[in-house]
Amino acid sequence: MHELRTLYRHRQLIAALTARDLKARYRGSILGFFWSLANPLLLLGVYTLVFTVFFPSQTVRAYPLFLFCGILPWTFFSAAVLESTTSISSNSGLIKKVMFPAEALPLVVVMSHLVHFVLATPILLAALVGYTLTGAAQVRMTVLLLPVLMFLQAIFVAGVAVTVSSAAVLFRDLRDIITNLMQLGFFITPIIYPMENIGWRPLRALLRLNPMTPFVVAYQDIIFYGKLPGISDTFLMIAYALVGAGFGFTVFDRLRDTLAEAI
Amino acid sequence: MSSEPRYSVALQNVFKSYRLWGRRSQFATLKSALLKRDLKPSPESSVEALKNVSFAVHKGEAFGVIGRNGSGKSTLLKIISGILKPTSGYLSVNGRIAALIELGAGFHPEITGRENIYINGIMLGLSRKEIDQRFASIVDFSGIGDFLDQPVKTYSSGMYVRLGFAVAVHVDPEILLIDEVLSVGDEEFSAKCVAKIQEMKYRGVTLLFVTHQLDQVRKLCDRALWLDRGEPKAIGDPMRVVDGYLQEVSGVAPAITPASAAEIGGATQEDNDLTEEERWGSGEVILRHVALVDQKGHELIALGAGVSVSIEMDVEVRVPQDDFVFGIGIYHADGTCVYGTNTDLEGLLPDRLDANGRVRFVMPSLDLVAGSYRVDAAVHTLNGRAFDYRRGVLRFVVGARVHDIGVYRPKHEWRFDGGITFKPVDSLQRNVPAPIAEYIRESQSAEPQFRKRRSRSEE
Repeated sequence: MHELRTLYRHRQLIAALTARDLKARYRGSILGFFWSLANPLLLLGVYTLVFTVFFPSQTVRAYPLFLFCGILPWTFFSAAVLESTTSISSNSGLIKKVMFPAEALPLVVVMSHLVHFVLATPILLAALVGYTLTGAAQVRMTVLLLPVLMFLQAIFVAGVAVTVSSAAVLFRDLRDIITNLMQLGFFITPIIYPMENIGWRPLRALLRLNPMTPFVVAYQDIIFYGKLPGISDTFLMIAYALVGAGFGFTVFDRLRDTLAEAI
Repeated sequence: MSSEPRYSVALQNVFKSYRLWGRRSQFATLKSALLKRDLKPSPESSVEALKNVSFAVHKGEAFGVIGRNGSGKSTLLKIISGILKPTSGYLSVNGRIAALIELGAGFHPEITGRENIYINGIMLGLSRKEIDQRFASIVDFSGIGDFLDQPVKTYSSGMYVRLGFAVAVHVDPEILLIDEVLSVGDEEFSAKCVAKIQEMKYRGVTLLFVTHQLDQVRKLCDRALWLDRGEPKAIGDPMRVVDGYLQEVSGVAPAITPASAAEIGGATQEDNDLTEEERWGSGEVILRHVALVDQKGHELIALGAGVSVSIEMDVEVRVPQDDFVFGIGIYHADGTCVYGTNTDLEGLLPDRLDANGRVRFVMPSLDLVAGSYRVDAAVHTLNGRAFDYRRGVLRFVVGARVHDIGVYRPKHEWRFDGGITFKPVDSLQRNVPAPIAEYIRESQSAEPQFRKRRSRSEE
């Protein structure tokens, strides 16, 4: 509760810093915002090439669309968490020289990646419409749940980002650990393959333990399959979001007083 | 019972220790932080930056903090501003606080000055609307002009700092913390900063600043604190605290403390029984006796306006010197400095100070407005280290027929031409209390009458 009030008080600051972040990132580059789309699009291209030309996938029609549904939320998660590991140490001036709410820094990172995600969704929706026209997919009302899902995921991502941002100040190795975990995470999340393709039950159970799994599956459900997310997935997502945020702010609160000294 | 607190900042028994960061201790911290919630470092791996610091800064006071590098000054400001937490002790802050610890600390080089003003303002606690209102004034103060819409990375370092200062002072804090920022920028900007800070002080803002520019402490501060290796060494009158600091830096142990002043001065206490003198200095040269005398050498404690008087200092030389300056200052009872000068300011080069003697500061006409005044007299080295500094060594009252206001009365008369006339009036008949009228009548005669009962022994 206390954290929410603090956040509300600093909403203008977070908004202004997010805008600054986005402006600063694209100032002076010709293609500007395109670059933040290039990464998922390239990834999309590579995997589409691999799985439609080299190893044609039999189980999923409209594979690029399927891939796209998973890659965007994954990119949001991994980029925001990875960048938040340096969000505090790269702004040491603010922490040491200004009275500054340090939790704003990872949240600004999350917000600016959320903006990228939101800006990429029209392309996702255009792809969905395109595949619908060719008959390979179908636009359903469930697409309207997209904002709700993004909101839920953003809370979860914020919780993780706040945790790692403060912990990484005291424990610098965390950044490298997370970089490698993200590589692994990409493959143990059902992004490039559908969950159903995993036949072996223990492995499926393992995948379920990955907190990003229900989110990615839910995106695929509402966009690609045009159905409501499963009940257990929904509960898991809400639980991950609340527990993640609660844990994140608790950790942050405990480490807060040492940040200015430890940077 | 208790109403609004009178102080802006109060610290009690504040300690701060910094953990020394080693490779292993980082692991320990993360673990202990998460598991035990206990972040107190073990003694063998910490440095004490502040030790038992207690003081209070009153509302509207200008408070200076001086000390060598590494004495904990910046740590102190950071603790007051909330950037750091004290390891133990109690801190209370009343009022909106702004800290100028590094100007432009929040600027982002890639975006324009305009955008940075907004972001910096929000960081310092303003809302967008409040910044809109102050925007023109901020830009005007910073003097960055055409560069407003250029990315900040194109700014010169001077422009950068000016913009940072401009935003910070427009936050309208009740308490302003300043760390060394007055020493950056060119002369013009420094002067502008000092003027702005004086204006804020005048408006009742509490100022707390850390600086190595001792002159600023003497000029701007009402009180000062001297920190030495994290411990408060002296607190109080800025002149005195700065002097104590200079004594130590120059390696001379201070010989005169207020307690020993009575012994050294001998008759001092008796001579100035009206006053509460403060005295300090290293004691190689001593101002044995300081007096305000008329042309005939009679000591005065009250005088009329415009009479001829001198300030006399009897100098005792205990250790001969070749670096010495004599100075005097005249202050109004409210603390306003009426006039101050010294031999160095007036271009007199010290040659030898070998034996006892007398210094006379002769004023053919002391044109002061009615009121009570005090005099500081000092002998010190060229760099300001005091041999003997006597604050409020004597006090005197100026009586006058006319109740004009201010401190200085220029020689003047009124002249009227044409249709403007005044009735001739004996101004003494106006409602002036009888004893004062009597006094004034006397003081109008050639020689001032209010002498001290005892004439000087030397006469």
